[in-house]
Amino acid sequence: MKLNLKHIRWSHYLNYLVIGIFTLVMAIIALTGGHINNSMLFLLEKIAVSIILAVSLSLVVGFLGELSLGHAGFMCVGAYLGGKVAAVLEPSIGNGVGSLILGLVIGGAAAAVCGVVIGIPALRLRGDYLAIVTLAFGEIVKSIFQNTSDASFGGALGLETPRFDKQYLFIFAFLLVLLTLAAAQNFIRSKHGRAVTAIRDNEIAARACGINVTKYKLITFTLSAFFAGIAGVLYSFSNYTVQSAKFGYNYSIEILVMVVLGGMGSINGAIISAALITFLNTKLATVLTGDLAVLQNLLYALILIIIVVYNNAPALKSFRVRYNLHVFFDKVVRRGKDPSHRSDDRAKWDVVPTKIEMNEILSIDLKPQNLSGDKPTHDDSKGGKG
Amino acid sequence: MGIITIMKMTKVLSLVLAALLMLGMLAGCASVNYAETNTQYVIGVSGPLTGGAAMYGIAVANSAQMAVDEINAAGGLNGITFKLIATDDMHDATKVSTNYSSMLESGMQVSLGTVTTAPGMEFKNLSADDNVFFLTPSASGDDIPANPNGYQMFFADGNQGKVAAEYVSANFAGQTIGVFYKSDDPYSKGIYDQFKANLDASVTVIETTFTEANTSDFATQIDTLKGCGFIFMPIYYTPASLFMMQAKDIVAANTVYYGCDGFDGIDNIEGFDITTIPQEVTMLSHFNSKATDGAAKEFIDKYVEKFGAETLNQFGASAYDCIYAIYGAMKAAIDAGKEIPVTISASDLCEILKEQFNGGYSLAVGVTGENITWETSGYVNKGAIKYVIKEAN
Amino acid sequence: MELFLSTLINGLSLGGIYAMIALGYTMVYGIAKMLNFAHGDIIMVGGYVIYVFMAFHNPLLAILIAVIFCVLLGMTIEKIAYKPLRGASPLAVLITAIGVSYLLQSLAQIIFGSANKVVTVYDFGSVTFLGVNVQISALVTLAITVVVMVALTLFVKCTRLGRAMIAVSEDKGAAQLMGINVDGIITITFAIGSALAALAGLFYLLKAPSISSTLGAMPGIKAFTAAVIGGIGSIPGAMLGGLLLGMVECISYKITAIAPYTDAIEFSILIIILLVRPTGFLGKKRREKV
Repeated sequence: MKLNLKHIRWSHYLNYLVIGIFTLVMAIIALTGGHINNSMLFLLEKIAVSIILAVSLSLVVGFLGELSLGHAGFMCVGAYLGGKVAAVLEPSIGNGVGSLILGLVIGGAAAAVCGVVIGIPALRLRGDYLAIVTLAFGEIVKSIFQNTSDASFGGALGLETPRFDKQYLFIFAFLLVLLTLAAAQNFIRSKHGRAVTAIRDNEIAARACGINVTKYKLITFTLSAFFAGIAGVLYSFSNYTVQSAKFGYNYSIEILVMVVLGGMGSINGAIISAALITFLNTKLATVLTGDLAVLQNLLYALILIIIVVYNNAPALKSFRVRYNLHVFFDKVVRRGKDPSHRSDDRAKWDVVPTKIEMNEILSIDLKPQNLSGDKPTHDDSKGGKG
Repeated sequence: MGIITIMKMTKVLSLVLAALLMLGMLAGCASVNYAETNTQYVIGVSGPLTGGAAMYGIAVANSAQMAVDEINAAGGLNGITFKLIATDDMHDATKVSTNYSSMLESGMQVSLGTVTTAPGMEFKNLSADDNVFFLTPSASGDDIPANPNGYQMFFADGNQGKVAAEYVSANFAGQTIGVFYKSDDPYSKGIYDQFKANLDASVTVIETTFTEANTSDFATQIDTLKGCGFIFMPIYYTPASLFMMQAKDIVAANTVYYGCDGFDGIDNIEGFDITTIPQEVTMLSHFNSKATDGAAKEFIDKYVEKFGAETLNQFGASAYDCIYAIYGAMKAAIDAGKEIPVTISASDLCEILKEQFNGGYSLAVGVTGENITWETSGYVNKGAIKYVIKEAN
Repeated sequence: MELFLSTLINGLSLGGIYAMIALGYTMVYGIAKMLNFAHGDIIMVGGYVIYVFMAFHNPLLAILIAVIFCVLLGMTIEKIAYKPLRGASPLAVLITAIGVSYLLQSLAQIIFGSANKVVTVYDFGSVTFLGVNVQISALVTLAITVVVMVALTLFVKCTRLGRAMIAVSEDKGAAQLMGINVDGIITITFAIGSALAALAGLFYLLKAPSISSTLGAMPGIKAFTAAVIGGIGSIPGAMLGGLLLGMVECISYKITAIAPYTDAIEFSILIIILLVRPTGFLGKKRREKV
């Protein structure tokens, strides 16, 4: 088959391109002996971990429409097993790509197994009940690792793991981000993905259409757990210790916040908000030092409330239509051209219409054709003209 | 679809690329000495300034700042003043890498490490990579000074557990004692493990635990331990005081509560009058927050005047000593002919300080002891006081 | 026997607190259909208010002010953070609630500092019963919780306002059409829930006279678990779930070998119960409609 450039949906690959080029640029700097600040390296690693977590959780929350509050639990499993693999292998093969790959396979697989084990019973439940069961799962995992013996997983002190060379880890981290993105995006755009969104939009109708609801729920849940495990392994390779206290429900909620702020059912939104929140969290902590440190939680909480209320309050809808990032993006990138000129030729499932309209402010889609948001008939495009 | 779309995309892409390249430029060049532009010696510390463990981090930040101010007011080190950077890690190891690197890039030359053990496990290795000297006031985990650049001002947990076990073995052979510890806390668990390992086999132990999820209601635990005449509590003073308040009518009045340095400050809690507790409260510590003379008394008066008694505890006292120990070691090195320019790199300063600390440098008069010296392993050598906070009524 | 009795009493008194928090959770969830993650932090606020007003050495006054303050706080939070989101996705409301929870915790830390505050509200003392030392405050806690549960049940079943609440919980739209002020009902629900949280704060202080900014976080989660075990939305269910969870916690702490796993055990029980009875013990089964 002849490759016809015209028939490639470039818009689908823009996010890969951006992340890929970013990785390439940074990798060239690092590999050609350039020095990147530690704080930049650490930030990049953290951002990569957050993105993988947010994208994987967005499969369950944004596309399957189920609330999971135990995502950190899967990450915890991956982190401990991946870290253990690295620690065991260090004396024999050192701490290189070999142990990273083996760690990823084992950590990811273990998290996926947990996903199946908790998914089979839990997915019989719906909505808030599923949420509380996943929350319980996260706390149970945390508690189990906390009470392991010192020789196995370090117990209360945490597991000491060798750290991957910090000059290069971020390159692998971003390659993993690309891998996650590819898996998630292809899954969503496949027929399986459409089945999943059908279940989200109306489970009974989906069942009536002959979709095996349990099967697809379990697939999504397991895939999500697998990548949470991958994020965990990455976390253990980017730290000297893995301490279970980290993986409590607060962390699960932090991941959920990333997904929700990014816009439900928007992978790109999840990526951007994960990067943004991680950046904000890290920067607030280093800018507000000493006596001002108490303010960081306050600021974080206020930002959270204001953004969510602004983005979701039905009463603010007309206001939102006027002032949002889509409009802003239009003005900057397209120099004020009327957004209605945008071409509409895109796959209909490209941006899955969200059942719940979420977060116009942050869910900027990197694809220029989609700047108007969901559908051509959407209020945004009308408002944009005015 | 087609050319127009691709052109639009190119525009977005070029914007993104431009931003990325700028980022790349910012990234800077080969290995640098971040202290090059320093005009003061910079000391960094990472501790919990917010969250549940904040009182410890605040005590350390306050006391260290107090010591720095005093040194500066007295003219600094040969005219060069000190500056303290205190960053917040919320007792979370994940925050340490960011704090550490940002402090290093702000010119940190020497550090107090972390305030608590859990984040310290991360800090010790990060600082070893760059060879940054740290003397931690209170991260007491046994493994914290494992690398050559790390030193402790506190007694290591294992050591405390061993000393307690020896005391109990000698005094309670053949009897039953109680142990109350926090199973998910490295400090508490660390002491307990060593205590258990070194305990005489003839001592029967009834043990009970609590976790972070429940740090205030101890009715069940008290019920378990009520028959014991001696209760070993390797925990911090807040839960200990709660245990005592809830247990005062249930546990026999002649019971002895025996704690480690975590007990210190228990008689300073606002609203908790330790004299209402009929039982005896004893601790093994290096600092007495009710000291009536000497350096400790001076420190307590200054601290209370400046920050109030609420956060006065041994963490702060220890941090105060850390600053003076580092200052003293730098001074001793200069006296011995070493040069310490204000822009010295962290790694160079580390070598100088290591030489001092391994070479028998001693802090003659500290708040937490006298003639304090260090072993090459990084553990501290100073006298521990078995100190009865309150006699049994 | 003695062991059994003392564990029973400890379990019931802890369970009473969980039940009190769970009652608030279940009311709010049942009627506003939202997980109010900030509920636990209202307990903490109630505790701090009592701490502040105990300066007047009048426990009853302090408790009264705490209840009023929490009611006003609950209504304000509802008005500012939740009401604008009515009609928006439940997830958005959940995230806002989390934001409110962080906000209350950090405000408390800024105002009161990080060290625990100690305050003795009232020392009831203890009695010895069948050789077991029983804290009277535990009995008081249990008694008040039972009274509150009965009162709430009667209120919901027998008053106009209560029936309006049921109507709102069944179908907001239909309730509105019947002339019920849905917004008003939801606000009242929050007021009741917050008052219960203030009482829970009092119970905590009676049990362990110390308060910190994170006091409510874990009990909030545990009590939510209790509400789900009992069947969320059900008032007797919340009571049952709370007492059950309290008993389990105390028994687990009693057995040295499993004590460190207490949290894991509690949450495992939740999972098992939900698998056997997906709506909890006393929850109503809801039929999915197309």
